[in-house]
Amino acid sequence: MWSLVARSKLWWGLAAIFLIGVLTSPVSSKGNNIFLSYGNLLDVLRQVSITGLIATGMTAVILTAGIDLSVGSIMALCSVVCAMLLTVPGWTPAAAMGVPALALTALVVFAALTRFLFRSMAATGSVGRRDERRLDMTRGTLLPLAAGAAAAALVLWFTIPQVATKFGVLGVLLVTPAVGLLFGAINGIVIVGGRLQPFIVTLAMMVTALGLARLTAGQNNAVLPVYTGSNAVAGFDVLRSLVWGIVPVPGLFFLAAVVIYGAVLRFTSFGRYLYAIGGNEEAARLSGIDVNGTKIVTYAVQGMLAGVAAVLFVAQYRQGKPDAGTGLELDAIAAVVIGGTSLMGGRGSIAGTFAGVLIFGLLSNLLQLHNINSNLQLVLKGLIIVGTVLLQERNLGEILGNLRLNRARGDPATREPPEGETEPRRYGGSANETS
Amino acid sequence: MTSREQSATLLRALRITKRFAGVTALDQVDFDLRAGEIHALMGENGAGKSTLMKILSGVQPADAGDILIDGTPVAIGSVRDAERAGIAIIHQELNLVPELSVAANIFLGREPLRAGLLLDRRAMSAAARTLLARLGIDLDPDARVAGLRMGEQQLVEIAKALSLEARILIMDEPTSALSPAECERLFRIVRQLAAEGVGIVYISHRIEEVMDLAHRVTVLRDGRHVLTAPIAEMSRDRLISAMVGRDTAARPPEAATKGPVVLSVRNLGLEVPGRRGWRRILHGVDLDLHAGEVLGIGGLLGSGRTEILETLFGASPGRASGRIHLDGRPVEIPSPRAARRLGIALVTEDRKGEGLLLDSSIRENVALPSLPCISRFGIRRPAGEAAVAIDTVRRLGVRCSGIEQPTATLSGGNQQKVVIGKWLATAPRVLLLDEPTRGIDVGAKQEIYALIRALAAEGLAILMVSSELPELLLLADRILVMAQGRKTGELTRAEASEEAIMHLAAPLRAAS
Repeated sequence: MWSLVARSKLWWGLAAIFLIGVLTSPVSSKGNNIFLSYGNLLDVLRQVSITGLIATGMTAVILTAGIDLSVGSIMALCSVVCAMLLTVPGWTPAAAMGVPALALTALVVFAALTRFLFRSMAATGSVGRRDERRLDMTRGTLLPLAAGAAAAALVLWFTIPQVATKFGVLGVLLVTPAVGLLFGAINGIVIVGGRLQPFIVTLAMMVTALGLARLTAGQNNAVLPVYTGSNAVAGFDVLRSLVWGIVPVPGLFFLAAVVIYGAVLRFTSFGRYLYAIGGNEEAARLSGIDVNGTKIVTYAVQGMLAGVAAVLFVAQYRQGKPDAGTGLELDAIAAVVIGGTSLMGGRGSIAGTFAGVLIFGLLSNLLQLHNINSNLQLVLKGLIIVGTVLLQERNLGEILGNLRLNRARGDPATREPPEGETEPRRYGGSANETS
Repeated sequence: MTSREQSATLLRALRITKRFAGVTALDQVDFDLRAGEIHALMGENGAGKSTLMKILSGVQPADAGDILIDGTPVAIGSVRDAERAGIAIIHQELNLVPELSVAANIFLGREPLRAGLLLDRRAMSAAARTLLARLGIDLDPDARVAGLRMGEQQLVEIAKALSLEARILIMDEPTSALSPAECERLFRIVRQLAAEGVGIVYISHRIEEVMDLAHRVTVLRDGRHVLTAPIAEMSRDRLISAMVGRDTAARPPEAATKGPVVLSVRNLGLEVPGRRGWRRILHGVDLDLHAGEVLGIGGLLGSGRTEILETLFGASPGRASGRIHLDGRPVEIPSPRAARRLGIALVTEDRKGEGLLLDSSIRENVALPSLPCISRFGIRRPAGEAAVAIDTVRRLGVRCSGIEQPTATLSGGNQQKVVIGKWLATAPRVLLLDEPTRGIDVGAKQEIYALIRALAAEGLAILMVSSELPELLLLADRILVMAQGRKTGELTRAEASEEAIMHLAAPLRAAS
């Protein structure tokens, strides 16, 4: 982790923004630096946590050379589901969608987990380095199915009684992410099964999920308000509260996602597969990697994180609405790219995304503290995105050189990159071989 | 010969020097080319051949030295400059746009226009057809390049370079992916062009080819000029020792003792989706592969050789039929993952596109297929990965700075060792090799040959496809020959010869 801090220009950018913030911040009447105050910094964490959760999942998706444009809409749909579960009793569209989704998720996830455990135990003991041992009927099919069925029964036993009344905190925290996961998994299945571009599939899902969100909310409900204590359970407020009076709960969710997914990418074979698929999908497939399964899981997790973000959104803004996540996918993609993850896949990290999200958040905060016009803020943000990415990928001399070369040669198609310039994506070329 | 020697010197390069980050790639190298001459440029990988040619063709600038064309010093700062000076280069790695047609690729950047604005597709197509006809290449100018085989794509590259009306043509290993018939066609074209007065720089690792084709040869070693001489004064052995600086006489391998049948394939068929329904690629192929044997597959490009390997590895896009038995048990191989679990490994022809993660280190590449066994409950164990990688590097003699070196920076031969090594790490029973020595230098080739023999001696069953007949004859215990998706014969070691293979590989008459 520390080597990353020292190595990357990104963290210097974060430090620079932080420094500018401290130096230019307005000072309160008591002489305190407002930017540096606990309250302000933790507020930044609260503000970035929804985008941050999405960006965390997006990092994995982009690492596989994919993209997910549907996260905003999936979050909107999930926010409607969450708000409706909290405020309306009975088999509403939200309950009718959410409870089966949760049961299905529990079934599939637990069955897969059980099978994975048996498989891992078999592989660990196998001779040589080949996992040739096949699972028998009991351990391969029956026990996983039983585990999945038990989990599904358990969640049904837990949630169905809540349908008649209204859902509690734990109820929505289970059901809403399951809905997101289901839609994310559909993204993945269509991309893999139809061999379609992720861009197109998730674009279609973006439109579809938005429509579903409006249908679920109903004609007359552009907004579903959630008043904790009156039309919803009072305990729901815990999701917007501060732990020990300091740390905002949404921020904890974000940090947990960063740590867990970051560890998964770094320390598990699943993480390595993501990088391998993004680096060279064909080579990954021919190495015997389950490319399709890995991709489906990646999109499903992204959907689930959108579901978690939706619950936090409802808690934060006391409402669920179909236009909740407008533009969110682009904010998330911007944060991922600022964080140094290549849109071509195969290169990047969650740590980078974390920095990218913070840069974005601190910047917005800084602009707000200075009372800068919100439209001007957008312009500045756009410039910052391009600037940060340029700084990471190139230096100034290179940029000027590129412009000059293009004019002089006029024909980029026949031009080879100069030797010594890092061109890691050129599989066809022998730029790195001197033969 | 005398007329050629008297003919004008087209190109002269003097004291060319080039350094990369402290490493001297070229050290005061002299080179000259006469009109109408085929001048072979030889040397091991890393000798500086490609660097010299990149400088002449304007891809890279030289650090020092002069280039003279027709006796006049010229500055070649870009590909455009080189083209203006009449220099064209055909790169070893293809430089085509896969989604465009053959004609569009040939005229890329120089498309014929109608009214100075609109693409004149018909004129482009017609011009391409004329050009291809002149080269004797049977290709549809409107076919999409992505749908062509590697050898056919190479022919498009050649047509593209020739369409520039170049006086100096640089060919960087043009035959490395061509079948013998395509090679012959290429040589005919090259001789024809030389007779027309074009100066040709011909880079190749294949000594027989150079002895046959070239008028003069220049050998580079470690960035230095070793010799330039008329080919008549050279011999195979002299060339090799000039290149390598040591003797590498190929030892004929001792006949291996055959083990039991590991892989038995009966009536293997394959259909792939084509534009008009399903197209049949393989027709009822039978084969038996014994432990400890190298079974070679010969045949022309497109005869179904590669498809056999792909089908046995579960990597074919089409639908397969027939029965496969592994150790006497019937098996299904629907995916590469299934193949890996059964202990079947495939080293593909295209190591950069399909074999390696070029950005990743040797360790990551080697560990990739064995991750499920190196990991514990899905958690990777870097120490385990490092152990496997170090083991592989030692066993196969991969020359590298360490297991963390990115594979993109390895030479072709060492990259190939990494690809083979990553599969050996999975302890396979059957190893499928597709063109295992394509585009790698003489020294590395010998090492790969020795490795293949050693693996067979350890009891591994090896199925190997190769376009290079000497390679098949050297390594294979038996040779199976394919033509048009059918097995046309099987030759024992005693029966096998280049003539026998070519006889069986020749396409059947169209009527059949």
